[in-house]
Amino acid sequence: MGYSSKSPWLIHYDGSSCNGCDIEVLDSMMPLYDIERFGIINTGNPKHADIFLVTGSVNHQNISVVKHIYEQMLEPKVVVACGICACTGGVFRDCYNVIGGVDKAIPVDVYAPGCAVRPETIIDAVLKAVKILDEKAAKMGAAEKNR
Amino acid sequence: MGLIPFLVAVPLIAAVLLMLFRSEQQRAVITIAAAAATGALALAFAAQYLFAGYNAFELPQETSYVITWIMTAVDVVLCAVILWSAVRYKNRTALVLGLIQTVGVIWFANMTLSEGAEHMLEVPLYVDQLSVIMVLIVGLVGSAICVYALGYMKDFQHHEPEGAPDRRHFFSMLMFVFLAAMFVIVLSDNLEWMFTGWEITTVCSFLMIGYTKTEEAIKNSFRQINLNMIGGLAFLGALIIIHIWGLPLSLSALTLVAQSFLAPTLIVPLVLFSIAGLTKAAQMPFHSWLLGAMVAPTPTSALLHSSTMVKAGVFLLVKLAPLYLVYPAASTMVVAVGGITFVLCSFMAITQSNAKRVLAYSTIANLGLISACAGVGTAEAVWAAIFLIIFHTVSKSVLFLCVGTVEHRIGSRNIEDMDGLFSRLPRLTRFMMLGIMGMFVAPFGMLISKWATLVSFAETGNVIFLILLAFGSAATFFFWAKWLGKLAGVAQKAENVEGGVHKTEWFAIGFISCLLLLCCVGLPVISEMVVGPYLAGTYGEAPQLIGVDNLIIMVAIVVFIAIVLLTPWGRATKKRRVEVYLGGSCTDPDSRQYHGSMGRTMTSTKRNWYMEDVFTESTLSKVGVVVCLSIILMAIAACFIFNAGALVGGAFFVDRTVLLVGPGLPGILLGVLVFAICAPVVGCLLDGLDRKVSAHMQGRVGPRLLQPYYDVRKLMSKEAASVNAVDEAYVTCALIFAILAGGLFISGSNLLMCIFLVTLATLFMIIAAYSCRSPYADTGADRECLQVMSYEPMLMIMSVGFFTATQSFDVARLFTLDQPIILSLIPIFLGLLFILTIKLRKSPFDLSYSHHAHQELVKGITTEMSGRTLAKVEIMHWCESVLFLMWVGMFFVWNNPLSLVLALVVIAAAWFFEVLIDNNFARMKWQACLKSAWLVALVMGLINLFYVLITPFI
Repeated sequence: MGYSSKSPWLIHYDGSSCNGCDIEVLDSMMPLYDIERFGIINTGNPKHADIFLVTGSVNHQNISVVKHIYEQMLEPKVVVACGICACTGGVFRDCYNVIGGVDKAIPVDVYAPGCAVRPETIIDAVLKAVKILDEKAAKMGAAEKNR
Repeated sequence: MGLIPFLVAVPLIAAVLLMLFRSEQQRAVITIAAAAATGALALAFAAQYLFAGYNAFELPQETSYVITWIMTAVDVVLCAVILWSAVRYKNRTALVLGLIQTVGVIWFANMTLSEGAEHMLEVPLYVDQLSVIMVLIVGLVGSAICVYALGYMKDFQHHEPEGAPDRRHFFSMLMFVFLAAMFVIVLSDNLEWMFTGWEITTVCSFLMIGYTKTEEAIKNSFRQINLNMIGGLAFLGALIIIHIWGLPLSLSALTLVAQSFLAPTLIVPLVLFSIAGLTKAAQMPFHSWLLGAMVAPTPTSALLHSSTMVKAGVFLLVKLAPLYLVYPAASTMVVAVGGITFVLCSFMAITQSNAKRVLAYSTIANLGLISACAGVGTAEAVWAAIFLIIFHTVSKSVLFLCVGTVEHRIGSRNIEDMDGLFSRLPRLTRFMMLGIMGMFVAPFGMLISKWATLVSFAETGNVIFLILLAFGSAATFFFWAKWLGKLAGVAQKAENVEGGVHKTEWFAIGFISCLLLLCCVGLPVISEMVVGPYLAGTYGEAPQLIGVDNLIIMVAIVVFIAIVLLTPWGRATKKRRVEVYLGGSCTDPDSRQYHGSMGRTMTSTKRNWYMEDVFTESTLSKVGVVVCLSIILMAIAACFIFNAGALVGGAFFVDRTVLLVGPGLPGILLGVLVFAICAPVVGCLLDGLDRKVSAHMQGRVGPRLLQPYYDVRKLMSKEAASVNAVDEAYVTCALIFAILAGGLFISGSNLLMCIFLVTLATLFMIIAAYSCRSPYADTGADRECLQVMSYEPMLMIMSVGFFTATQSFDVARLFTLDQPIILSLIPIFLGLLFILTIKLRKSPFDLSYSHHAHQELVKGITTEMSGRTLAKVEIMHWCESVLFLMWVGMFFVWNNPLSLVLALVVIAAAWFFEVLIDNNFARMKWQACLKSAWLVALVMGLINLFYVLITPFI
């Protein structure tokens, strides 16, 4: 059993979201949904985070930022695209400045669609993500042993 | 005896030779040979007399008579030098003072020499352990500095403007004359000879400060000589009065006179001697000469501040210490001036960015501490004073020499420019870090001496000074820690510029650093074999302030820190190297550049924290001068106002002796083991409970109880990566020290040592954060320093309160008490509860980092730490929380086993209270943190300590 899934710390980045999804992300930390039940903490520091939660689409301005944050996170790490814009670009996909979903910049592990994404969906997505996190951790551990 | 003439003659001969042979090579040969000879002589002298106790040397009176003639001639020559300089540079004050001194010297010589040889002292020379220590200091450190000057002056001349005359032979000559004069001072029992040595140091340093002959140098050199001539005149005045009373001009005789019916004759001379000592030791209001001396080439500062000049002042005061027990006016004056100087100069050092000025202020502050210890005059205080002298000498000289070399390498002595020096001058910086640590943290000698100072002041019940000491020490931590942090920063792209450091410079720095470590390691031995016997000889008792077991642990830690700093131990070379975090849009993390608004590229820089608005130099300086000057004037006035009975009535103090009831080494080790196993478990559960309770207070369910454990397990399994190779080593040290502190506490050992180790652990956390050179971590570390400065006074006061209530600093003592200490320490308990918020990292004072979701500065001090390093930080936090809560419980324990239950209940209540505050308050500004914590410490400390220390008299 991995410990990664029991203590997933997340970092939240607002790409070019309309803030609808951001509010829902914060909502999920409020007493009603209480995401800390699962040991989840919003760290705000990529070096401490295991889960990268992105809202909004990727555009020419922020693609380097998204990549940079992702690079600074330490293995094992997973990415959750929160909201339809983060998944595919959503209604903004055809804008001249929008590149598309988060997966245009970095590999995404879980897609959580919705406009805005519901807190239940976020929790669901994060819990899916921690399973992937555990798998990655196990793989890392095995690789360490084989070395 | 046979060695004494050589000790004085060798440096003098070297001085003459240096004036004759002026080429660079000749100078190098002469200097190295003479320094080696002086060092060897000092060692031989020490081997002969270090363990031999007090030895007085007889001299035929005719010889004495001739020497006195020579000394008088030297005095007159010195006066001539002063007068000539005063006329040449048109300095009226110096002229007037010089004239007075000339008249005084001639008048006095006329009195003593006209009486003929038969009135000379029969035993004008002596040696005791203190003199030997001084001989070693002067002979080893002083000579090393002379060697250092060779390389340094080469660079110095190079930096001088084109065509500047080469007067380096003159400079080297002065340094050797200085050494000779110091030997005269520390070995003469004849006060007249001592006075000559005293004046030689004054004039030599005058010439050395004015060496460059720039306008500023001349101005500062005259300030030096004018202030020191006041001291010289006081010295001369004391001699004249003693002679007029028909008493022998002998240092050792003063003590005998003080105990006889003739005691009243020494009231005024002692005050005058004290003033002489205070001027030489650069105490307020005379302190400005030492600051001005900074314009001189660095070897001057090193020589003046560490091993010679100022040490002559405190040497005299320490020698006079037994007299202060008899004469309350002089004693009060010295203690008050020293104490006030200590605290004010420590405050002023915070505001300085010029490295040499920081060192200067710290020197003045430490000399204040030494003077105050001497002024108390008890055996315990003198123990502290002697060790302060030793450790101040070695640490300060290392620092001065390093700063001098660094200045030539990087072209600046500003602390701001020393950013990333760890990578640019790796070896030198490590020596410097060692020197800085030697100045202010446990387990180094300086802190142990301060510890002894605290104990001796607690024993004598000197409340005001205890409070001054507590606040001054807190400020000391702040200004050293931030400098240390600047040095510790590891830069990725740095060019190593260490190549040009001269061999002689390496030798001197390395040699004195070895001495520093040797003194720290040998502290128990020095205490037992040298200082103990000296005090036994002077006072008839050798004080036992600190348990030997504690000293042994300290020594072990010194060795450990030396290994961490100076060897590649713990360097994580295999870890993946990552860049610092600068927010999302950074363009070049290595040079701290990021994408700013409007498309500009910004570079993140961070200045040290100087707090000029809180501690204003000019105001503090004025206050100090006025207060100290009035104290001195009052002391002089007191000599004439009160009747003689009161003035020789002995100092007014309580004498308590420290009980050492702590466990032995095996007990402590067992305690450490138990703490290392239990504290993380308990701390982890407490942390989980904290999050659970907090969640319930916010109407949430919260995480699982074992959540902190899961967090740490996860962090351990994360990828190993760090910003630099050293931060994990520092954090590991911090964790070890925190566990050691807790182990000491539960084994019932020394409470003060426990507090010091907690501070040491925090310091290593701070260095780890600074080493990343990340703007967020740096700011977090700055705030951590501020937090330490805020709560440290209260902890000191708590430990003193503990002592007054239990007669001991050992926690084990609690179980033998008839009633809990809370009964007499309620205000201190409340003060502890107040600062507990800072220590537990709870709102409103969680400035440097916090566990909960309040984010500011990313994650503050832990921003750059990740994976295993962060896990260690967490575990350290658990251990510390447990320890701090035990401090709270300690107030409710007495010899009833059931009291432990009561303590647990109180701990639980205090803990719940802290969580409640945490959830109901917003974070405050740092100003509020500092001011409120200091105010609480001051008020609670004063009220409570006065109450408990005065009680025996009511």
